[in-house]
Amino acid sequence: MLRKPIISELCRIALALTAAFAVRAQGPPNQPVNRGALLSQDFEQRVTDYLKMRKAVEAGMPKLKPTGSPAEIAEHERELARRIREARPRARQGDIFTPEIGGEFRHIIEITMRGGHAARIKQSLKSAEPVQLRLGVNDTYPASVPLQSTPPALLLNLPKLPAQVEYRVVGHNLLLRDVGANLIVDWLPAAIP
Amino acid sequence: MLSRFFLIVLESLLLIQTADRVSGQPEGAKDELAVPVKPGSVRFAVIGDNGTGERRQYEVAQQMAKYHERFPFNFVIMLGDNIYGGKRPADFKRKFEDPYQPLLDAGVKFYASLGNHDDPNERFYKPFNMGGKRFYSFKNGKAEFFVLDSNYMDPQQLDWLDKQLQGSTSTWKICYFHHPLYSEGKFHGPDTGLRALLEPIFEKYGVNAVFSGHEHVYERIKPRNGIYYFVLGNSGELRPHNLKRSPDTAKGFDTDQSFMLVEISGDELFFQTVSRTGATVDSGVLEKQTNVNSSGSAGRLNRSHFSAACRTSVEGAALEFLPFSTG
Repeated sequence: MLRKPIISELCRIALALTAAFAVRAQGPPNQPVNRGALLSQDFEQRVTDYLKMRKAVEAGMPKLKPTGSPAEIAEHERELARRIREARPRARQGDIFTPEIGGEFRHIIEITMRGGHAARIKQSLKSAEPVQLRLGVNDTYPASVPLQSTPPALLLNLPKLPAQVEYRVVGHNLLLRDVGANLIVDWLPAAIP
Repeated sequence: MLSRFFLIVLESLLLIQTADRVSGQPEGAKDELAVPVKPGSVRFAVIGDNGTGERRQYEVAQQMAKYHERFPFNFVIMLGDNIYGGKRPADFKRKFEDPYQPLLDAGVKFYASLGNHDDPNERFYKPFNMGGKRFYSFKNGKAEFFVLDSNYMDPQQLDWLDKQLQGSTSTWKICYFHHPLYSEGKFHGPDTGLRALLEPIFEKYGVNAVFSGHEHVYERIKPRNGIYYFVLGNSGELRPHNLKRSPDTAKGFDTDQSFMLVEISGDELFFQTVSRTGATVDSGVLEKQTNVNSSGSAGRLNRSHFSAACRTSVEGAALEFLPFSTG
């Protein structure tokens, strides 16, 4: 006879606690709380969507394994890029780095480049052999242009990426590059101060 | 006042000595072998920034094959920029397969790291032995090699390195990657951002030697916190007269292409740096540092020392041995 009231009481307390956390998480009315986290989630979702599409187009291809044939590697890269382009023909700059997400990225990079990190990141960028390149979504990254290394301090602070895509710096721009397809997925202008 | 005077004299002497160490001319006798070829030793060659496909890369490769006859190294470590420019099959042939064909035919394995001129998909090229990975490790005898992708030092790679080094029981731990943590090269200089992340890990787990490329010169840096640093980015490319004089440089060479021969036996690492023309540019033996904290957890290394000597003589003259102090 006692069991039911105890359970219902526990449920009531649990509901009350959940509601209290929810209110706390929302913060005061009309004040955007943790906007960065929401934008980060949005970014991750867009990357996840890209990867879903990529997985689907890659499914029909033989998996690339270590080979002595550079032609096979090049062909796999070309074919994967072709299929990705075909799957997202209307992809435009800003599809992943939307203006809001882009603003948050610039903010993170600006903060990272302040203070003690600033000199090191500038040194890393200088040491990385800076490159200039006309950028276009779905373009192949040209073989003749070196891939500028990405300052490690930035990689520690930007949202983590799965192995299939990576951040790269070109001039003042931040690229999202598909590693296997050697393809520019999206890019953020004026990301690096 | 007096101490200041002595300080100025000391600095001047140091600069004079450094000027001697940054040398433009190959110094040792041609075709001499300065590594001992001990039985059961770990033997390898080092090349960096090699993949130009030009005549000078071929000439370095010919010297490597020549030295291989007397110093049968089992493998070559590649410090990145393995294939410059185009990445067509013809490029792999002209910039890698053809120049090193005699070594490949002799069964010598190549273990590549990625440079900024490389396509990361080179990791699938079987002769580079990367197993499809951007960063990886392999063992040979008592030495373990940790091959990093310094173009993209993300948290995943740092975690991997930390775990691998922590679990390593090898006597010699050697890391190599493209961008140097220390360099007196005028064109790029050191990557201090990378240094801030990697050096504490290297010191924590007792890494013994680090090889990098990127600067198109040869440099041996005075030991830093118990770690020997080499820069070798001139096995194909060359940036003449690009080294600054610095008291941190143990030896520099910036007027011709070069490669290295390395032999590890017991607690000693013998090295010989050979120019495109076959002259010995630098050689010596380094003693393995003692790690005071064998658990590998946050232990600092004992100060290392340069145990024997470096050849700094001019061709034909008697060899002069310069003892080096610790870094």
